[in-house]
Amino acid sequence: MKYSASRNQIGSYIIQAQEEEIKRISLELHEGVGQNLFSILTGLKLVESGINEEQYKNYLHEMTQLIEKTMQEIRLLSVELYPPALITLGLLPAIKSYIKVYTSTFGILVELSSTGEEKHIPEQNSIAVFRVCQEALANIAKYADTSNVKLGLSWSNCELKITIFDFGKGFQKEDLEKNPYALGIATMKERMLLTGGQCEISSKIGEGTSIEISLPI
Amino acid sequence: MTEIMGMSQVNEVCEALKKRIGCEFVALALQNEVGPDVRWHYASGNLNDKYKRITVRFGKGVAGKIISSGSPMMLIDFPNDIYGKVTDHPIMLAEKLVSCYAVPIFFNSLPKGALLVGKREKYTFSEDDQEMVQDAALELEQILQNQNIG
Repeated sequence: MKYSASRNQIGSYIIQAQEEEIKRISLELHEGVGQNLFSILTGLKLVESGINEEQYKNYLHEMTQLIEKTMQEIRLLSVELYPPALITLGLLPAIKSYIKVYTSTFGILVELSSTGEEKHIPEQNSIAVFRVCQEALANIAKYADTSNVKLGLSWSNCELKITIFDFGKGFQKEDLEKNPYALGIATMKERMLLTGGQCEISSKIGEGTSIEISLPI
Repeated sequence: MTEIMGMSQVNEVCEALKKRIGCEFVALALQNEVGPDVRWHYASGNLNDKYKRITVRFGKGVAGKIISSGSPMMLIDFPNDIYGKVTDHPIMLAEKLVSCYAVPIFFNSLPKGALLVGKREKYTFSEDDQEMVQDAALELEQILQNQNIG
């Protein structure tokens, strides 16, 4: 029992330390590298407006476009690493924001619904729920062979329930044991257990896979 | 962006390429006229319409790498032996492709798009295949430039 408690604490500490580091890199990319690129872009645009030679003007224009692309990529990478909306606006806006990026990355449409009043969740728990949703959606893109996903949040006074259904090809539990997907599922479950919540997965061949997450508030 | 999907010349070049190589999927990604986004504007042999919603990320996946490097790229056995994460290759996942070969499309000497051919099985594209894709890309560059796209 004692061993189990310390094992949980270590697991929780490792995840927390990892999240802190990811957050630091994400902020550094957004606030540091991203801001510097913006300054370079502004400077180049100023130079571009003062140049008359067509050849150099075109060259500068291509450079500004490249910087814009790099800035966009830095922004996406930063948000992908640690969603800023999670700290400033909460879990639901962070999920909404992630879904936009998800659809434009994988072309999979996500129908999002939320019932009940959104409650405040400590950052450590909301990042756990967010990561589990992120992992579930990434697995759907990799394995489910689907174009549509339903993601529903249900808030009550004492609990948050999230259901993700993918309408995909589904899988059999026996096949899962040989699949690398299994490790992802185990991580999702472990992550939720550390928050005091749960993560249940069920699947039917040809019908789809359902992921149910619950978090006590 | 002008509707490329409905351009018969683009369709003819891509269909002919698909037939000659014996591949199952052909797609064309181009940078938008405004802004840095690159999207798949044409696809043939597609299983679904996910490609229409995918925005190619600069430097990521097959098309993103081609546009950022200006060099061709081949995947023989996706998702094995790839550089980066599986999720960095959304068109391969969306279309269940296992192998592909893609080349850059140039406008004013700059890579602004990518032409991709793909198969849903393990396959190494021969030098002849690669040459055919390259020739088709040159034809498409000409067609699109004549239409003032790019």
